[in-house]
Amino acid sequence: MKRTTIAISLLVGVVTAPMAAETTRWVERTKVDIRAGRGSFYEIVDTVLKGEQVEILKTEDKWASVKTARAKTGWVYEAALKATPVQPGTSDFLKSAPGDTATSRTAASQGAKGVYAQGYAKEKGYDYGIVTWVESHQPDGPQIETFLKDPGEKSGGAK
Amino acid sequence: MKARAYSTLALLLALVLVGCQSGGGGITPGQIFGGMMGVNPSDVRGASTDIDEPEEIELGRSVATALGSRYKLLRDDALTRYVALVGNAVALQSDRPDLKYYFGVLDSDEINAFAAPGGYVFITRGTLAVMRDEATLAGVLGHEVGHIALRHHVETIKDQKKAAVSKGIGTTALQIGSGFIPGIGGAVTSGVVNSPLMNLAADGVVNLTLKGFSRAEEEQADMVGFKYATRAGYDPAGLRDFLKAVQDTSGQPGKTGLFTKWGSTHPGGPERLKEQENQLKTAQAGGRRAAARFETAMGTAAKPAAQPASPGQPARPAQPTR
Repeated sequence: MKRTTIAISLLVGVVTAPMAAETTRWVERTKVDIRAGRGSFYEIVDTVLKGEQVEILKTEDKWASVKTARAKTGWVYEAALKATPVQPGTSDFLKSAPGDTATSRTAASQGAKGVYAQGYAKEKGYDYGIVTWVESHQPDGPQIETFLKDPGEKSGGAK
Repeated sequence: MKARAYSTLALLLALVLVGCQSGGGGITPGQIFGGMMGVNPSDVRGASTDIDEPEEIELGRSVATALGSRYKLLRDDALTRYVALVGNAVALQSDRPDLKYYFGVLDSDEINAFAAPGGYVFITRGTLAVMRDEATLAGVLGHEVGHIALRHHVETIKDQKKAAVSKGIGTTALQIGSGFIPGIGGAVTSGVVNSPLMNLAADGVVNLTLKGFSRAEEEQADMVGFKYATRAGYDPAGLRDFLKAVQDTSGQPGKTGLFTKWGSTHPGGPERLKEQENQLKTAQAGGRRAAARFETAMGTAAKPAAQPASPGQPARPAQPTR
């Protein structure tokens, strides 16, 4: 009787377990940005957390086009994904980060949104303004795309 | 008496706020006392010294603020964007193309460039003045991106953390709600007291960035920087040209001082130049130099230090031959 119960339980478990397709991958890093193009300078369309599943749509030059659980599609560097399930989890750093950063899908590339660095700067008497200025004066995805297509041998190409 | 009252009030307030945020079960009074003394007993036991990307980014920002205290940032929108365009072209070919990179120019005649963890790269105006085309800039930025892509800072951070943990310094920031609560050590921003360990790690990386990496790490960064710039379509001779320009120009009268820091932060100059020459022997010739675009982008920003050191002696080197 006991054996039958175990066998039925296992069968039910197998039938009801979510089937992982060949194209399923698991996020291996604490937080990963899903971007609109194959590069870190493209707009973030979603942020996935360690252990989350994504579906691979296609791969190009070490980048994978994926669909997230929230039905967002974008590109992620393949090295951030694993072909076998990954246990969800966070890092000690993010555990101690402020609530929103630690628990939400705040972009990975935002770190802890500067709160630690601001605290450090304040303690040392440094000006955080250098970070704000530099971060807000970088070219965007389309500008970099245009630049990459221009060999730059003619004067004025960078403007 | 007043100070003691403040401390008691601060402690009580901290207990209330922490209790609210953690649902009452997160942080114990013992940890609060530990935090006040810079020691969090639970953190010392089995504290993780691993670094993830969000932490690396925060440390990079911390290093940037330290650089900002020693150098003035050149707030030139067009020049910064140009350097960032070249930097991103190279970083896209790196071993960490998914990391977001930021590039800035420091308003100094000194010859130097810095790589901070998490993707922050700074180059001085004086360094740009030694260059004469984009391939050279790509070579130097490729080298700096190499330090970040190879995670050269991470071991230092880990060592710093291990040393701090062994001394019993806590790892976790205490979330205490908004506002400053006197009596609790650490910097307060947006309701977070920075952990002493986090600040020690930042101190360690600041020190590393300002003092420079080991000669072995410099050589590794050269190797990958060469590869990144070449993959990005640049003439692979860019970094070699820069190292040669540094060697040729540093001996000029009145110029030595500008190169002192470069030599200390980037050790092994002659050997590195020789290694670049060796790498070029097997590299495919060609690749763009983009000298015209570089000259246009430089505008007047880098010109002061680019003036000839003496009549008939150009600051920028003649076209090196391969």
